[in-house]
Amino acid sequence: MLVLVLGDLHIPHRCSSLPAKFKKLLVPGRIHHILATGNICTKESYDYLKSLANDVHIVRGDFDENLSYPEQKVVTVGQFRIGLCHGHQVVPRGDPEALALIQRQLDVDILITGHTYKFEAYEHGNKFYINPGSATGAFNPLDTNVVPSFVLMDIQSTTVVTYVYQLIGDEVKVERIEYKKI
Amino acid sequence: MYNRRSGNDWPTLPNTVCYVSFQTMPNGLDDQEKLLAEAVGAARKQAFQMNHFLDKERMLDALKCASTMLSELRTSMLSPKSYYELYMAVTNELCHLELYLSEKSHKETDLYELVQYSHTIAPRLYLLITVGIVYIKNDSTLKRSILKDLVEMCRGVQHPLRGLFLRNYLLQCTRNILPDVLVAENEHEGNVYDAIDFVLTNFAEMNKLWVRMQHQGHSSEKTRREKEREELKILVGTNLVRLSQLESATLETYKRLILPGILEQVVSCRDAIAQEYLMECIIQVFPDEFHLQTLDPFLKSCAQLETGVNVKNIIISLIERLAAYNQRSGKTSGNAIDAIIPAEVELFEVFSVQVANIVQTRTDMPLEDTISLQVALLSLAQKVYPDRVDYVDKVLGTTAQILDRMNMNNISHLLSVNQELSRLLRICIDFYNNALTIIQLLNFCPLLEKFDYTSRKSLALYMVMNILENETQVPTAEQADSLLTIITPLIKDDDSSTAATTNSADAEEFAEEQGVVARFIHLLRSDEPDMQYKMLQTARKHLGNGGGQRLKHVLPPLVFAAYQLAFKYKAIAEQDENWDKKCQKIVQYCHSTISALAKADLPDLALRLYLQGALVIGEIRYTNHETVAYEFMTQAFSLYEDEISDSKAQLAAITLIMSTFEQMSCFGEENAEPLRTNCALAASKLLKKPDQCRGVVACAALFWSGKQNGEEMRDEKRTLDCLKKGARIASQCLDTGVQVQLYVELLNHYLFYFERGNSLITVAMLNQLIAKVNEELPNLEPSEETKQIESHYKNTLAHLRSRMESNDTTLEVSFAGITLN
Repeated sequence: MLVLVLGDLHIPHRCSSLPAKFKKLLVPGRIHHILATGNICTKESYDYLKSLANDVHIVRGDFDENLSYPEQKVVTVGQFRIGLCHGHQVVPRGDPEALALIQRQLDVDILITGHTYKFEAYEHGNKFYINPGSATGAFNPLDTNVVPSFVLMDIQSTTVVTYVYQLIGDEVKVERIEYKKI
Repeated sequence: MYNRRSGNDWPTLPNTVCYVSFQTMPNGLDDQEKLLAEAVGAARKQAFQMNHFLDKERMLDALKCASTMLSELRTSMLSPKSYYELYMAVTNELCHLELYLSEKSHKETDLYELVQYSHTIAPRLYLLITVGIVYIKNDSTLKRSILKDLVEMCRGVQHPLRGLFLRNYLLQCTRNILPDVLVAENEHEGNVYDAIDFVLTNFAEMNKLWVRMQHQGHSSEKTRREKEREELKILVGTNLVRLSQLESATLETYKRLILPGILEQVVSCRDAIAQEYLMECIIQVFPDEFHLQTLDPFLKSCAQLETGVNVKNIIISLIERLAAYNQRSGKTSGNAIDAIIPAEVELFEVFSVQVANIVQTRTDMPLEDTISLQVALLSLAQKVYPDRVDYVDKVLGTTAQILDRMNMNNISHLLSVNQELSRLLRICIDFYNNALTIIQLLNFCPLLEKFDYTSRKSLALYMVMNILENETQVPTAEQADSLLTIITPLIKDDDSSTAATTNSADAEEFAEEQGVVARFIHLLRSDEPDMQYKMLQTARKHLGNGGGQRLKHVLPPLVFAAYQLAFKYKAIAEQDENWDKKCQKIVQYCHSTISALAKADLPDLALRLYLQGALVIGEIRYTNHETVAYEFMTQAFSLYEDEISDSKAQLAAITLIMSTFEQMSCFGEENAEPLRTNCALAASKLLKKPDQCRGVVACAALFWSGKQNGEEMRDEKRTLDCLKKGARIASQCLDTGVQVQLYVELLNHYLFYFERGNSLITVAMLNQLIAKVNEELPNLEPSEETKQIESHYKNTLAHLRSRMESNDTTLEVSFAGITLN
């Protein structure tokens, strides 16, 4: 089961489009679910995600206009409960303990958040945390070297293999991280 | 059908008609079939007799039979298709006669004289041709005189259908024996000029017969006649094929004799059907090299054609052919493109002048066709001279002039001419795939001005989409200015148009368009920071007047681009001593842009942009940054207090203000303290209790990880005060479900600061919260919400348990004494 995780696009506020190299990788029909961490911003971007997979889940980022996106969401894929939250509500920003508060509240195995524009995937208290970064490498006042990135999760029963795609220079680098549910 | 016999000759002819449409002939199908069957039957009978006599070597009898057989072709009853069938049957039989005659080679009897005694003219001429060919084959010195004689004698048949087929027979029979040398060994054998003369004469006569068909019979049968003519046109066209097959005919000959001969006939026949077909024929049958050298006479003749002739199609066909030739040759020879079309042939100029001439003389031509001609010219310029932007510009200029002369302005998108005109501009955009080249076309904008608002807008959108697809980067303010001028219809409403976007489909489309413009703004990008700033100013000027609905989409990209630019100046601070001042200007620019958004009734968006700005200013740290960052924060606060009234939006806004402030380290206490207190105050004044509780608890972070003189504040007392206040508010909630939920959340927050080492938070406090939850939780109505609270609580306890059991020595605090039961 392939799950695309991405967010903080900020099109058209902060950039004109997804990197061409990412667009080439993202082809319709291969991805089963999309989990978006927010700041999708426009209906056009939403429609684009819809063209990649029918099942799209979005939570609201601080620059999302669409008020109907929820602040938090739980999606079950295979045997995993996956929590989704943009993360601008979390103070201090991106703090693992602060994020753990949300993990406990949502009662999830995997918590996915964005807002830091920096890819991260780690285990904390036996739970798995993913931040797909910004798929467009959007401008961020607190980090002027944002690397565009997104995550693809391959979920097989109790195992998640996470592939992170990063656009470094002009090349797409892929890393693999595995997480097993206990 | 004709191809069956002469397929090799005709492949280059256009519209090689097949006779599919013959079922609809008059007299009815059955009649025609019957008549044809009778005629063919009679002919076969005579043919049988003829062959019989030939076997017996009874020449005179055989010729008599042949003559009778041929007299079947005198019928007027048959349709062209049936007549053709009959003609094929009869001429097939004539082959036997010809074969026989050439074998026997009757020198002694003068057959050429003999066959002339046939009673009627058509059979007589068919026989004369047959015998004439035999004579020529036997003695080539007769060629010149016999060919001349035959082509003249055929004038004897003036009935169009019969005459056309007779002359077709002549053309078929002479196919392989036309003299094709420049100088003959024996002048009586004739040379290529005799052949040209022969075919041109035959062509002229056939054309006259063909044209005359138009003027025979009742006017009510015009449609049928034109259809019949359509079916017969290929007979006339074959003459041109024959001319093109003469290998000794050089370019010089073509220029001097062949083309003028054809054109003279074409122009003088004054028949639209003939003219249109034959001009097309010329283009298709003669080689491109010839066309290149004879453009002037050809195009001049085009101007003289009848009013009904679709000159546009003829010219477009020629242009397409030459452009294709250029590309084809360019590929095979691998030469530079200008080497293929000889330099002395100024293809574009010639077409340009002649097309103008045609447009001027043919006043009846519809405007769409005139524009189509300009489209064809444009594509010629692009295909053959891809580097000559000036040619393209000239076409656009000419088009604009044409419209000027006709006083065409504000051309409605509903007019058909609009489509052709739009095509003209779209072709330009597609061809260059570079908007920067488009703005070099000085006539592009004047032409664009001729359209109505709707079409200008759709062209503008087409242009921006092209820029986005090609990621065309716009590096200077002038270029940005030109492009933004072109896309003005997207940027602001037409002065005259009053229609506001009303329904949701329109609104969606509008948002999408504005999104496209917004994306485009990011392509205004110069590596020169000063130039980048100029561009942002230019863009701001253009984009500022679009009204709130547009500002919402197009101003935020400007603000973010400006923020990025400020970072760029900071990065080059060492090279640019004025970076500080420039940053101040940029921040001013952002401030005024954001306040424009605030004024346009977009407080939520403006608030977020102010907060982003405060972060940027805090990071850049130019002179005076603290005051300005404070100003940005207070602007955000004012918007929060004055403009945002929805409780959900309020909670979201205050949370954002707090989380932004928590990250900032640029403030001295003098500025930080009022901000902190205001946050706390605002949170406690939220409308709903749960919101108040959560807001106040979030505030705790400001006193803990929030900065004081650059360091984390770690104010244990005030952090705890926030938590306590949260607990107090929670206790006031009437809904026990919500209350328990808040207690569980509070427990987590207490734990968070407890673990971080806030010594004022005691185990007793934690126990107290746990006890409260333990007490209330079992009383909740079973529901989905209750389940969620239970698992939240369970997870919290599990976390606590793991902390208590942990041997982790890095933990600063002791969990001893916590009662989990």
